[in-house]
Amino acid sequence: MTRIACLLAVNEPARPALLRVALAHSPRVEDAGADRVYLDASGLAGLFGDEPRLAARLRDAAAAAGVESRVGIAESRIAALAAARLGPGVMIVEPGGDAAYLAPASLSLLDLPEETATRLSRWGLRTLGELAALPTAGLFERLGGDGVRHQRLARGEDPRPLVSWRPVPLFEESAACEWGLETLEPVVERLRELAARVCTRLGAAGLAADGFEWACRLGDGRLHEGALTPAVPITDAESVGGLLRLALEARPPRGVVEALTFRARPVRVAPAQESLTDRSRPAPRLLTATLNRLVALVGADAIGAPALLDTHRPDAIALATYQPYPSPLRGEGRVRGEETRGAETRSEETRGEAPALALRRLRPPAPASVTLASGRPVAVRSGRLTGRIVAGVGPWRVSGEWWSPRPWLQDEWDVELADGTLCRLAHDGSAWRLEGIYD
Amino acid sequence: MAIPIESSPPPGWEREGIDGLLGLFPPGRLSEIVGPRSSGGSSLLLALIARITTSGSRGGSQGGGQVAFVDGMDALDPASAAAAGADLSALLWVKCGGRLRVALSAADLLVRCPGFALVVVDLDELGPMPASAHLRLQRAVEGGDTILIIRSARHREGSPASLVLATRRLAPRWMGLRPITRLAGLRSEVSIFRSRSSHTLSPLGRGQGEGQGRRWTLDWTL
Repeated sequence: MTRIACLLAVNEPARPALLRVALAHSPRVEDAGADRVYLDASGLAGLFGDEPRLAARLRDAAAAAGVESRVGIAESRIAALAAARLGPGVMIVEPGGDAAYLAPASLSLLDLPEETATRLSRWGLRTLGELAALPTAGLFERLGGDGVRHQRLARGEDPRPLVSWRPVPLFEESAACEWGLETLEPVVERLRELAARVCTRLGAAGLAADGFEWACRLGDGRLHEGALTPAVPITDAESVGGLLRLALEARPPRGVVEALTFRARPVRVAPAQESLTDRSRPAPRLLTATLNRLVALVGADAIGAPALLDTHRPDAIALATYQPYPSPLRGEGRVRGEETRGAETRSEETRGEAPALALRRLRPPAPASVTLASGRPVAVRSGRLTGRIVAGVGPWRVSGEWWSPRPWLQDEWDVELADGTLCRLAHDGSAWRLEGIYD
Repeated sequence: MAIPIESSPPPGWEREGIDGLLGLFPPGRLSEIVGPRSSGGSSLLLALIARITTSGSRGGSQGGGQVAFVDGMDALDPASAAAAGADLSALLWVKCGGRLRVALSAADLLVRCPGFALVVVDLDELGPMPASAHLRLQRAVEGGDTILIIRSARHREGSPASLVLATRRLAPRWMGLRPITRLAGLRSEVSIFRSRSSHTLSPLGRGQGEGQGRRWTLDWTL
């Protein structure tokens, strides 16, 4: 006989605290949302006493963790939830009593889809007992398998086993330095030792890491922190050590180091077999080292894969993480906070058409002085080019996002200068700019 | 009976138009595209990038080659690249902010990282590029499969490039009749300024200077 306890936070979501409390009492815990956890309460009497004592202990432990909670224990999750939610604070449903306990409870306890809830309401059903009493065959005809599943829950029958939750292991190593480290080399060596230990643990757990962080406590109490993100998840201690050296040489700690901490962000990488027809790609280890050197050279904000933002605003682009090895664990929309247009889609659309004329952007657009005749530009002067305009078309007005705090509007002209240069001019109502040169 | 590889024309040798042109760039060699503003050099580069990043793929990015683009002047327009058909996710863009030395250092790092099908160093009017940098890049790319292309406004005498393509603007194409209403594209000419490739798979490889003077007229569409 399985007994399940529900630990329910009363006021606010407290998932981490609830999970900690539950794991301290039972090896099998299910993370059921922000405000509740279920734990297997079977066989805990030897440790914590009978069920009322266990329930009281759970509530006290949650209170000690700063969470006001309610506890219910029953044979099914739904009955345990009802006991926690509707009971006096600590409620034990006797074995075999789930259906009777649930009968007067409201249907809302089931978290039904809106359509189903409306339908049951039209049938005049208000409580779980009324749903449980309906003929199963008729319910199946009208609501299908979901209807039968809901009815079984209403009867306190919950065949689904607990989905066990495991805490993410912490891959972190620390070391204190007996004597302060004044030069970079010993700092690098100590961090490499810590990294090797972390990588060994990652490998033993069958995991890789897609990010590493370290912190050095300095003699004056300040903290020097750093991080690196490899191009692909790795566990190779030698690679991590090489990257660490590069990163620390680019930004060394300014002071005497007294203690070090190194941690990894673990990810599980699904093995994938590449196609024989795929073109070659840079080796992950070499690519990671190259990218880190490039970041040190040009800065992290100047390197990546270009991505088009989902707007018609001129030159609306972003730099996404360059990831030649797509990982099933990483999202495809790699520009955080922005919607990007799918380049592949555009490629499919444009493949097979005439080759496209490229625009070379000036970033930022160069201020230009434009001479007009009859409202049309006839000469342009800017820092990049100067000349008489022999042909031009425009103005093409482009605008957008007038509904947002950052509306934009400009008139664009494509012009040919006397020396044959083709360029794009833009006028935003107040000033002219040279946006780019066709090439 | 073994057939000497030199006697077999490589795929694409007989092809005309842009397909034949894009097949000219020899792997493991330094090539150059030189030409003034609005002569189609950047469009040619983007067409090559599109071809490489989508070759072998079937609607996805995993089959195509990887391209590194060292952008000396931060002038790459990703919208143009996408319009040319390039898979942007296979493109590593390194913006150098108008610093020649940084661009050359970045290029040096990238050509020493095997696996990129193409490394582009777009210098445009940034320069002049030191002769020693040319030599260094040529040495770094030798023996690998990477195509290295330097795009600049002017050809430098003494460059060790195996292939130099010169682009020349012919005429813009406008839409509409009196008045014209829209820029439709650009017609440009690409010619082999110099070829001294000895690569066996290069169409130009059957003798130094072969193919020199050959010209392609290309229509780029906006």
